[in-house]
Amino acid sequence: MIITGKHLSRRTILRGMGAMVALPALDAMTPALAAAAGKKAGTPPLRLAFAYVPNGVTMESWTPAAEGASYELTRILKPLAPVKDRVLVLSGLEHNNGNALGDGPGDHARAGAVFLTGVHCRKTAGADIKNGVSVDQIAARQVGSATRLGSIELGCEDTRIVGNCDSGYSCAYTNSLSWRSDTTPQPPETNPRAVFERLFGADAGLDPATRAQRLRTRRSILDFVGERSAALRNDLGANDRRKLDEYFTSVREIEQRIAQAESHNSDWLPEMEKPSGIPETFAEHVSLMFDLQALAFQADITRIATTMIAREGSTRTYPEIGVADPHHPLTHHRNNPEWIEKVTQINEFHMGLFAKFIQKLASTPEGDGTLLDHSMIVYGSGIADGNKHTHLDLPVLLVGNGGGALAPGRHIRYGKDTPMTNLYMTLLDRMGVRPESVGDSTGHVQHLANV
Amino acid sequence: MGAYRRMHGVRVLRFLALAVGLALTGSVATRGQAPAPASPTAPPAATGAAPSVAHPSAGGTAAKPAIQRRSAVPGHSFDSLVKPFVAEHCASCHGTRRQKGGLNLAAYDSLEALTNDADRWEMVVQKLRDGEMPPEDEEPRPTPKQVTELTGFVEREIAKADAARPPDPGRVTTRRLNRTEYNNTVRDLLGVDIRPADDFPNDDSGYGFDNIGDVLSTSPLLVEKQLAAAERIARTAIFGTGALKPSLTKLPMLNARVVESKDVPERYDQTGLTMANAAHATYRVPVEAEYVVRLVTSGRRPQGSEAMTFALWVDGTKIAEELLDPSLGAGFEPGEQELSGRRVEFRVKLTAGEHWIAGSPLRMFEGMPAKFGGPSPSKLPPPAPPEFKPRPGMTAEQIEFAKKRFEARLTERMVVNTPRVGGIEVIGPYGYEGKPSAASRALIYTCQHPGPHVDACRLPILSKLARRAYRRPVTKDEVGKLVALAENVSRETGSFDEGLTSAVQAILVSPDFLFRVERGEPRLVTSRTRTGAPAALGVKLTQHELASRLSYFLWASMPDAALSAAADRGVLRQPLVLGAQVTRMLADPRSATLGEHFAGQWLQVRALESASPDREKFPDFDHYLRTSMRRETEMFVAAIVREDRSILDFLDGKFTFLNERLARHYGIDGVSGTDFRRVALPVDGVRGGVITQASVLTVSSYATRTSPVLRGRWILDNILAAPPPEPPPDIPNLDDKGVGTATSVRQQLEQHRADPTCASCHKRMDPLGFGLENFDAIGAWRTADGQVPIDSSGTLPDGRTFTGPKELRTILVSERDAFSRAITGKLMTYALGRGLERGDRRDVAKMAKAIAADKYRFSSVVRQIVNSPAFQMRRADVKPAPVADPVDTRTAEQHPAPPAREPGSAKPGTPTQEPGR
Repeated sequence: MIITGKHLSRRTILRGMGAMVALPALDAMTPALAAAAGKKAGTPPLRLAFAYVPNGVTMESWTPAAEGASYELTRILKPLAPVKDRVLVLSGLEHNNGNALGDGPGDHARAGAVFLTGVHCRKTAGADIKNGVSVDQIAARQVGSATRLGSIELGCEDTRIVGNCDSGYSCAYTNSLSWRSDTTPQPPETNPRAVFERLFGADAGLDPATRAQRLRTRRSILDFVGERSAALRNDLGANDRRKLDEYFTSVREIEQRIAQAESHNSDWLPEMEKPSGIPETFAEHVSLMFDLQALAFQADITRIATTMIAREGSTRTYPEIGVADPHHPLTHHRNNPEWIEKVTQINEFHMGLFAKFIQKLASTPEGDGTLLDHSMIVYGSGIADGNKHTHLDLPVLLVGNGGGALAPGRHIRYGKDTPMTNLYMTLLDRMGVRPESVGDSTGHVQHLANV
Repeated sequence: MGAYRRMHGVRVLRFLALAVGLALTGSVATRGQAPAPASPTAPPAATGAAPSVAHPSAGGTAAKPAIQRRSAVPGHSFDSLVKPFVAEHCASCHGTRRQKGGLNLAAYDSLEALTNDADRWEMVVQKLRDGEMPPEDEEPRPTPKQVTELTGFVEREIAKADAARPPDPGRVTTRRLNRTEYNNTVRDLLGVDIRPADDFPNDDSGYGFDNIGDVLSTSPLLVEKQLAAAERIARTAIFGTGALKPSLTKLPMLNARVVESKDVPERYDQTGLTMANAAHATYRVPVEAEYVVRLVTSGRRPQGSEAMTFALWVDGTKIAEELLDPSLGAGFEPGEQELSGRRVEFRVKLTAGEHWIAGSPLRMFEGMPAKFGGPSPSKLPPPAPPEFKPRPGMTAEQIEFAKKRFEARLTERMVVNTPRVGGIEVIGPYGYEGKPSAASRALIYTCQHPGPHVDACRLPILSKLARRAYRRPVTKDEVGKLVALAENVSRETGSFDEGLTSAVQAILVSPDFLFRVERGEPRLVTSRTRTGAPAALGVKLTQHELASRLSYFLWASMPDAALSAAADRGVLRQPLVLGAQVTRMLADPRSATLGEHFAGQWLQVRALESASPDREKFPDFDHYLRTSMRRETEMFVAAIVREDRSILDFLDGKFTFLNERLARHYGIDGVSGTDFRRVALPVDGVRGGVITQASVLTVSSYATRTSPVLRGRWILDNILAAPPPEPPPDIPNLDDKGVGTATSVRQQLEQHRADPTCASCHKRMDPLGFGLENFDAIGAWRTADGQVPIDSSGTLPDGRTFTGPKELRTILVSERDAFSRAITGKLMTYALGRGLERGDRRDVAKMAKAIAADKYRFSSVVRQIVNSPAFQMRRADVKPAPVADPVDTRTAEQHPAPPAREPGSAKPGTPTQEPGR
């Protein structure tokens, strides 16, 4: 079990966290305060998260036959069996702005760009990219100030690709799901180590006794340095003194921040080893990113997260499940049953990793319930059928109870012309965020809370 | 390239202004730092007559020899000559009412005021002499005779005032170790080579270098990183890193663009390494261990091709090959094998440190079906023709269309063979235990006794470490505090090593380690001015401070045992000892930092790292080419240093270092393989010296095109010691789109020079750049730019003309004195860590002559600098108790002085007691 809060003497931790990495550590104090505030009010906060899989899915093995509560999990959805009562399968939602609309090929770029924005992105491989603000960022603008990080963006595939990624579309469209403004994508962080350090500070993975000891040592060292600087400064000329003063002031500033941090309280540290970097296998990588997301929710460091399991158009191969062929070409299977089978295996593999994450949230207690009770997590793709590049009847799941606002455990089919963004409008509303519209939204979706 | 643009920044502007006294905004600072004249009205022709070249004429025209004729016309005075001239020809724009360019020449009311602001008046002289001022349309115009009289008078008076000024070793502000120096010092101090400072914020640069005391600042962020680094370094040295879990790193890379073709080339590089199909990266392997290197492929092969071979290359050597058979996998189109996302893995042992890692397809045109006409065709049976299957839901019309397209694809010759390595991932280390290195242990555990360490070991161990880390003898009190810290932590943790670690951390964040504090010897050294007036010179550096200056100059690192020993014995200042140390240090591999860091910044080739030539125009440019370019220049510089060659080789060296990749880029035959080797350049004279190396040509270009302006400026600044002033703000760029089609860069620049404001500088810069127009923006030879044929002729302001790089070089070589000053000035700036001042530039001019007399040998430049008072002394801080001390002629031979009299009151001195120990 990774997610267990660990209690330490308040003074020990706080002294040290500041000393160790002054800036992040100071920041790290605030979420605890926010969490404390939330707890005082009595209601755990609501979380909103998105997980993305590329290249569509084998829809025949995704969509349940029956609607309502009595539906049976299909082959791809099977891994969700232990948490079936926490899942809404939503059929019939569409992203019309993922279609060409006169712009020709480039469905993968459009699918990635449209998924959280509902906007038809500008066809360009240059710097003049234009998309829309994504739903997670609309939410983060309003609720993000309550936590230390407004939102986090995680990814399991490299996003440093630049230039033309798909038929004249900039790689920016497939690098990022999340868009802070219509011209500013928020590329995901792919290195779990960097995510860990951003969330908890560089030292948080050590055992408590070691951590406390190191912190005391650092403090002694700062004392030593401060003393030495003061002595040195007195016998230098003006220019040299100015240089030493910059240094001395910096040392003092760090000391002050430690003192400041000491006046705050925090009793939560993750009991998780600091990741050394990107793990060897893809499955470990995805799991680790989901673990970090769960920790970030648990510690209330952020309430908004997006996870790109793989980038749109991904050509990743999956030798670990016996699929040596690249994903994207496989999805252009031209009805070759062997290829369809391999695509379905990849879909199941992704779902298995996601289901583990959901189970983790479902087994993490919070307030009177679990983390999953206070979450709304969307899983899906901007393409339905990868062979045909369709953006209608997308594969979409909504998981979690939304703090009581959702009534999961059902398969809902929406009528023709229901934009995916109507779902986002409804989720934002549950978060207390009420924009006029999101992308091409025409209103809200019904039936999430009632049968 | 953004280099020129960046240089327009205010900060750089100020530094440049300080350095050359050209830009108007800098003059206040210049004036403020200039030593006060001992006697501005000193009688003119005293003992040391002004040399014929007072100092390199700042901002002087590149092509114009610095030597100026001056007539000895007696009888002129400031009042009779300068005042009326200014009033009549200058003051309407540069007077009390208007101060164009911030210049008020009417404000100078005495000869003293004029000579006190010599830098600015030299600029005035330059502009008058060039005819740039007064502007053409101003009346009345001064006669040529009037101009000659005035400029001659001003130069003479400035030279006299200079001669009367006391020599001044200058003042180096305490220098913080920059990132390079920090990394190297930690490596040499503790045997930990993990480049911890690579995470630190970038060091700011001034005067073109990133080791300038005044500019290197310290922020809380930096100190925070230094604290974290100290912990990491100390733990690595004493405990090792601990076992490391394997993790995956995608190597950042810049790939060339594969230009798709339907043809099988007759000749191609069978190793694939120099082709766009390979991928190259530089990776710093953290620890020696086993790693999995994974090549991620992409591209296509025709169906029916045999499995193909991919190779892994480490540092240019083929390590292993693996077969990849994509024949049975999924593909986008029928008839093609798809390589996207496939992986070829190699498990290899890698040593720690930076490696060049590359992956390439081998013999990539072999093994294709015979119909493609490639060598060694596939022996597999031809694949069954794919069957046309309409997609469900297609209309009859759509089916018809799709079928036609499908059939056309089968018969058409298509783009057939584009396998490539698109990415490289390294996973590891495997089986690394993370014990501390033997080198680290040997450097730390100097307390030699058998058995476990006892409390008594702390003192000797920490004394030695602190002595080395602080680069000077340490006091009992200093070491006592470290020992106390270690003791405390040992007591708390029950571990001797934990205690030691804390003390090492403390050493590494102590200001004594992070800064190079110089105080100098207690006794003031005095000298005389050239007019015979006594004046203070400053204080000599201590032996250990001198040792540090030497080691950070030549190695960018701390002194080694031999150098420290010479300082301990107090003999380092002896000319024979010092000379021998310089010889030894230049021969040491660590002097490669001169190529990497000095030359990298002087020649600006460091900017290659961030150069990103346009991918459409220069599809060839990849990481391999970029590192090859850098390597050529580094090796060329290293050869000049190591072989102690003439610095004129920088201008016109007849040799260089090439590998196959770069040789192909240059169009030079007979170089194959990855190894760099010395190559005699063809006699056609196209290439020679650094100016025609691809590295320099690339960093002095824009991403999409060449810039004669940038290149001309580069030459003026780096070769001719005559940088032009910064351009005025808000000047428009050239019309990029027009270049190569409607007009040439040259034509656009010619229009530009029609504006007299622009012309004054551009007539100096542009022609030099035109001479290099045959080299494109990544340094390849060309005879046309788009549709416009190249015209590589130029006319210098003094009327000399040339065509092409060879003739341009001849002109540059004829300016060898200017070049000698340029390189000496740059190297001196780097050695001192401060901008050069007026007096320094005067000294540089003298050094340049001595260097010429020593056949322009590189070591001569180094020795001139090392032997200069500026290098061996510093201006005294505090007013001294009067000490009469004859000048040490060994250190100040440039300022031969008669027996000292009373030290002049104008100079500060230093206290008598040994400071701060």
